[in-house]
Amino acid sequence: MIEWDAFLIVTAASLFSAALLVSLYSLGLRLLTTAGRIPLVDPLEFTGAITVLTPKKAAKQQKRARKAAAANPLTPGLKRLALVAGYACFVLCGGAVLFGVYLIVPALHG
Amino acid sequence: MKAWSLVPELSLIVILVIALALIFDFTNGFHDTANAMATPIATGAMKPKVAVGVAAILNLVGAFLSTEVARTVSGGIIREGDGGVLITPELIFAGLIGAIVWNLITWLLGLPSSSSHALFGGLIGATIIGVGSQAIDYNVVAAKVILPALIAPLIAGGVALVATRLAYMITRRDLGKPDGRGGFRYAQIFSSSLVALAHGTNDAQKTMGVITLTLIAGGFQAVGSGPVFWVIAACALAIAIGTYTGGWRIIRTMGSGLTEIKPAQGFAAETSTAATILASSHLGFALSTTQVASGSVIGSGLGRRGSTIRWGMAGRIALGWIMTLPASAIMGAFAAGLALLGPIGIVLDMVIGTIVIMALFRWSRRNRVTHNTLLNDIDDAGRVVHIKKTPRRPRRRDRAKVAR
Repeated sequence: MIEWDAFLIVTAASLFSAALLVSLYSLGLRLLTTAGRIPLVDPLEFTGAITVLTPKKAAKQQKRARKAAAANPLTPGLKRLALVAGYACFVLCGGAVLFGVYLIVPALHG
Repeated sequence: MKAWSLVPELSLIVILVIALALIFDFTNGFHDTANAMATPIATGAMKPKVAVGVAAILNLVGAFLSTEVARTVSGGIIREGDGGVLITPELIFAGLIGAIVWNLITWLLGLPSSSSHALFGGLIGATIIGVGSQAIDYNVVAAKVILPALIAPLIAGGVALVATRLAYMITRRDLGKPDGRGGFRYAQIFSSSLVALAHGTNDAQKTMGVITLTLIAGGFQAVGSGPVFWVIAACALAIAIGTYTGGWRIIRTMGSGLTEIKPAQGFAAETSTAATILASSHLGFALSTTQVASGSVIGSGLGRRGSTIRWGMAGRIALGWIMTLPASAIMGAFAAGLALLGPIGIVLDMVIGTIVIMALFRWSRRNRVTHNTLLNDIDDAGRVVHIKKTPRRPRRRDRAKVAR
């Protein structure tokens, strides 16, 4: 009566979907960084869980990011390509989430 | 009684049970907002007001998405006899009292527990006392409640480990160069929203299942039928309101510090949690969302370099999980024993339940609610994994580069 195959399905489905989403998003970030658009996040209101940046530290990081971007070995064309590919990854990631929700809701596909 | 008719004329005890079930649903949302929204609020990915609002709405939406878990609760666990299911609304009432009391006790003592298991434990205990142990279908309990409870956190942990490794591997760059991992904070907005949605699909349905079981037991609904619309809507609303009110408490006590979870790690953990819960809900497994989220946090911690498990902490959490089912079963059994005395027993149950709840509530007001009692489950899970501060000794040329 214990449906072992159901556990297998849960394992496979969650492994596949989580790995896909995380890979796509990470790849998007990687491509953005490669393109010289390093996503820097300013300290916001509640920063308990990660290092709290003082404005001085944040400015330092931004300077470092600009420097890294300036030293980018890619040509402008390649940079633009990486940027577009990066955004494409984010779009794919979002699309995969929506498709997953579509699969789960029986009302959407009868 | 037609399934589509609006709220039918119900007997007093059925109305009592429904009210109690909705209160349970409310406390569930109240308790679990932290699971989904503590991380994005803590990392600054979302403004607290927005995060809590989004969580409430997505819980509401999630409750409407599927009814598989509700069917597991209402149609499988309690055996059917000649005249319908072998349980009376009075016993469900007793089971709920047991579950709620145990939930509040563990919550205030800061013990890790699972409101879902408390619910099942209370129901099972009440049924064993009231009807006898032959009324419970242990096959279904094992296949759809106990095994998923053991396996789902492991699955989530394994998935989170792989996902975290992937996230770090793909974004890895030479030491000293910015790697853009701060960008994972934006991703957390979506991953935590998915967790809130998944929470709605699994936890709201347990209450739907209980109410449906009551309606079936009271003879208002056919045996084996699923939840009707007003039940779904009421449960969705109760869990959403609970989520919203629970969020405000979390926000007020934030800033007292969370476990150190990096954005990349948090994103991977939340994605794994959401994927596991959604897949399980789809197959009708009634699992504990808190336990799955804890499993993910531990797994993602292990996915980072230089991590080791603190076994003492892990053992404490596991003990709390194992204790929940039998402890709430005893509470439910006790309440059922009283309920069997007839109307006086029910009144006694209510009075004792109310006194205990009020006492616990007053006690919680006196001791200012701290970080410990609020975010304990996920946070404890975060502390199970110890991560060394400088996990990787940089290569010589990298060290030279940084020094320059």
